[in-house]
Amino acid sequence: MIEYFVRRLLQSVLVLFFITVLTFLLIHAAPGGPRQIYLSPGLSQEAMAVQAHNLGLDRPLPLQFVSWIGDLLKGDLGYTFKNHIPVGEIIWPTIGHTMVLMGSAWLLSLLIAIPWGIYNSTVEYSLSDQTASFVAYLGFAMPTFWFGIILQELFALKWNLLPLSDMWTMGSEGNIGNLIYHLVLPVSVLTLGFLAGYSKYSRSSMLEVLDRDYIRTARAKGLNERRVIFRHGLRNALIPIITLLGLDLPILVAGAALTESVFNWPGMGRLFVQNAVSREYSVLMAVTLITAVFVIAGNLLADILYALVDPRVRLDRKGGSAT
Amino acid sequence: MSEAKIALQEKPVIEKFKRPPGVWSVGWKRFSANRFALVGLIVLIVFVLSAIFAKWIAPYDPSRIDMMFPNLPAGTGNHLLGTDELGRDIFSRLLYSSQVSLLVGFTVAIASVIIGTLIGAISGYFGGFIDTCFMRLVDVMNSIPLLFLNILILAIFGSKFYYMILVLSFTGWMSVARLVRGTFLSLREMQYVEAAKAIGVSDWGIIFRHLLRNASAPIIVNATLMVGGAILSESALSYLGLGVQIPQTSWGLMLSNAQEFMLVDPVQAVYPGFCILIVVLAVNFIGDGLRDVLDPRQKAMMSARRLDRWRKKFSKSGI
Repeated sequence: MIEYFVRRLLQSVLVLFFITVLTFLLIHAAPGGPRQIYLSPGLSQEAMAVQAHNLGLDRPLPLQFVSWIGDLLKGDLGYTFKNHIPVGEIIWPTIGHTMVLMGSAWLLSLLIAIPWGIYNSTVEYSLSDQTASFVAYLGFAMPTFWFGIILQELFALKWNLLPLSDMWTMGSEGNIGNLIYHLVLPVSVLTLGFLAGYSKYSRSSMLEVLDRDYIRTARAKGLNERRVIFRHGLRNALIPIITLLGLDLPILVAGAALTESVFNWPGMGRLFVQNAVSREYSVLMAVTLITAVFVIAGNLLADILYALVDPRVRLDRKGGSAT
Repeated sequence: MSEAKIALQEKPVIEKFKRPPGVWSVGWKRFSANRFALVGLIVLIVFVLSAIFAKWIAPYDPSRIDMMFPNLPAGTGNHLLGTDELGRDIFSRLLYSSQVSLLVGFTVAIASVIIGTLIGAISGYFGGFIDTCFMRLVDVMNSIPLLFLNILILAIFGSKFYYMILVLSFTGWMSVARLVRGTFLSLREMQYVEAAKAIGVSDWGIIFRHLLRNASAPIIVNATLMVGGAILSESALSYLGLGVQIPQTSWGLMLSNAQEFMLVDPVQAVYPGFCILIVVLAVNFIGDGLRDVLDPRQKAMMSARRLDRWRKKFSKSGI
């Protein structure tokens, strides 16, 4: 178990390292290279050379990479090009905002999707089941931002029930009621998206378990159906669901760039999009790295959880995950 | 009644030797038995045809600005769906946008399936160090949310149309690679591979001639489903302003435009999104239909409970 854990951890660190390499190379592959990105345009050749030297851009690539990594490890994410604000100062608050939005959507969708999926597995092809698969199809095929726009038009403009966008009304920042009022629309958009995957997944996971021999044994023993489903079925069906949740944890941070842009939510996704349009590379790189860290941590957590709840994994995989 | 039938049949009905139905006709039969898949196919064909013939169908030039008649409601004059805030004909714009979306959808799906299949095949067949390298690459690519990665690359290199196709293909191959690798891992242990090796078929010969053909079913299904994903990604990128740029039009771009003028003309936002939804739904239905046709495992794995119910209803022998 410990060997598995350590090996998995080392793998994650390796992947993280490659991501930093990838991001670094991407910036350096940009037309004009980092000089054009970091230096103010319209400088004379000499001034540019001096500034490049000051920023260390005339050093060989590997050396630059090492110093960049060193800065990162010290928690220094760099400065924005336009106003020279530390990037960290811009990013950290947006993470919180994204977490509020995504966390509530995520919880809500889990609370609906898992019981619904499990119920549907016991009443296959019923009306409820078919509704669920209809919702799933819709959730997979609908552009989320379009759904958001339509909701805005109906609830905010036509019926004037809910706020159009933003996180707070001007002047009532920090008011929980006001926040919830603003959360309703984006959360419903996101929930539909999550619902599609989760209800389908929990249904199929439960179905798979219900086909097992031990369920048949439980029934043969004469246990009542409720006990079979909840005691014997659900416990085992939850294992893959828990793993999926671990894998999806990073969503809480990475968030929905689209939904945030539609509803003008001051989260990390919208920050990313805005800075992509204005080509603020230091912010883009920092956000990419932060999300990557969260994704990798989520994957690691999912694997560890899986190994903890399901002893077969430890024995099967003997360390390195095969996939 | 039945005796009469038999009597009738006793007359010399020499049945001609009938060829057993071929693979294609069996496949088509199974596919068309799925009503959703059939409807999806018809819808997709309609969209593809209207995209190809957009030049002749569209009543107006999609980028022709006519400030005399902005924001016309649907059905005014020759404007089937009205005009937008610059007086451009919405119906024509939708038609031309479908060209972009379908082109991106199909090209990206094909390209990323080719990349993914190659990488997955090499990694699954040869295994060892190559496999480890490729799979770590997949891990790295998967660790950055795809939308972020796409936005990042487009922001760095600028948003040109063919850049977008390239970027989407280079960030979309991972799932196919994993799928192909998994299939190859099990297929390479088959006896026919051993036999092929014994008669001296080269590695590439085995990969392309034997393994790939046997692994093609899930690849095709996956490719179909990827078309929908690519269309959604394109519309998202265009909506955010990083995809298709202005003189061209695309459904995503129309949506971002419509959101801007939501107060003036709210109906505008409905059409492009609806088109995206319909096309992606159609493609996904086709994909599911193809899965029924192509994936024999799916058939075999009919759930025991469903089988039970089937038995209760139809089986006479009680087996």
